[in-house]
Amino acid sequence: MEYSNQRPPQNYSQMDDQKTLDLEESVSETIMRDLRMIAFKLKYVLIPKEQEDNGKELRNWDLWGPLIFCLVLAMTLSFKAESTTTSTKSDVFAIIFVLIWVGAFIVTLNAQLLGGKVSFFQSVCLLGYCVFPINIEAIIIAFFGSYLPFVVKLIPVLLCFAWSAYSSVGFMASLVPPHKKKLAVYPVFLFYLFLSWFSLIV
Amino acid sequence: MQNYGSNNDLDEKGQVMTDQPKIKVKFEPKPKPSACPICTIEYYQKFFDIEQRDVYMRVRCSLLSWKPEFQQCVAKNPDLWGPLWISTTIIFILFAGGNLSRFLLEEDKKHFQYEYNYMYVAVFLVYAMAFVIPIILGFIMKYILKSELGVFDVVCMYGYSLSVYIFVLILCIIPYNEAQWFFLMSGLANSTIFLLVNLWDFMKKSKPTLMIAIPIIVFNVALILCFKFYFFRLIYAVDD
Repeated sequence: MEYSNQRPPQNYSQMDDQKTLDLEESVSETIMRDLRMIAFKLKYVLIPKEQEDNGKELRNWDLWGPLIFCLVLAMTLSFKAESTTTSTKSDVFAIIFVLIWVGAFIVTLNAQLLGGKVSFFQSVCLLGYCVFPINIEAIIIAFFGSYLPFVVKLIPVLLCFAWSAYSSVGFMASLVPPHKKKLAVYPVFLFYLFLSWFSLIV
Repeated sequence: MQNYGSNNDLDEKGQVMTDQPKIKVKFEPKPKPSACPICTIEYYQKFFDIEQRDVYMRVRCSLLSWKPEFQQCVAKNPDLWGPLWISTTIIFILFAGGNLSRFLLEEDKKHFQYEYNYMYVAVFLVYAMAFVIPIILGFIMKYILKSELGVFDVVCMYGYSLSVYIFVLILCIIPYNEAQWFFLMSGLANSTIFLLVNLWDFMKKSKPTLMIAIPIIVFNVALILCFKFYFFRLIYAVDD
């Protein structure tokens, strides 16, 4: 079949129109659209009331959100890290970055090995978005930590850790058969514990 | 008379009855044999075929180390969930607890320097003890000493033998030298006895198999010495 001299099918020209629209819009519009999408997903993941369709929105996974939160967390903690040499700051950045991505990978792999039928990136996307509360507590402690006694610092840390864990546990537990739920959920708990601990001690 | 199947009787309509009911078999394409079977997820899924209760029973078996019940507990279903997450928990405790222990001893608490190297050393040490050493030992036992235990059985056993250290290392945060040595020694005893008791059936066969006890003991002792002298070393005096 030759298409070379014929008109292309209708749907191709519609896609072309869409592509030229994308190219014609300004950079700020593209960025705002992406940011709005990230904000929408964030609200969806962190506020359980929004999840009326049982997590179907997560099928449109993206890794921009997780990347932004990971970078913000790593940068906040590495700026705050006390150091006499620059090596400690880069140590902290590297540890947080690797911890988040490798940790999310291993937690998802664990759920898959336990028999969960989940798209790999969907799960990494969810775990990445749930890092947002840890971001909040890291920023709070970075700015106000030196003025607060240790016990007062613990309160936002525990609250944000509980919020992160609670948001992601529902999804992870639903992936695996009932008798294996705790086995899938414990690594998630350990993952956010690691991250919360970092934001507390730095 | 023609043979249609195992049962050649005719029913009342005169049709041949066969034992097999008429079932529709959906044609499923055979899974492609992968070039590297050990690299696929499906290969490892059989090591995660356990339930919460199984993990609890296996940890309990390992804590009551003098009873040689572990093989019965495992029942030919070794798992990798236990070794993986027990060792990861221990890494967290070493990192957090080691630094916490130093913090409690530090006089100048405002200027406490957190040691991030603990993370790298902990990862290396614990994963080597939980995976690298049992894999090597398992290969030696299976292919040179001809044991019935597979490599993954040994990995599973080693992983659960480390479960006592979760409690021991939390207690080691207490910054008293004698207390730390006491806890580490009891952890060492528990963990080593667990491994030796459960491998005794294999070890008593001959002199070469008895020799396997030596590396087991040596590696366990080396592990707690690393714990004590790297993560929980006590600073008695500040050097100027």
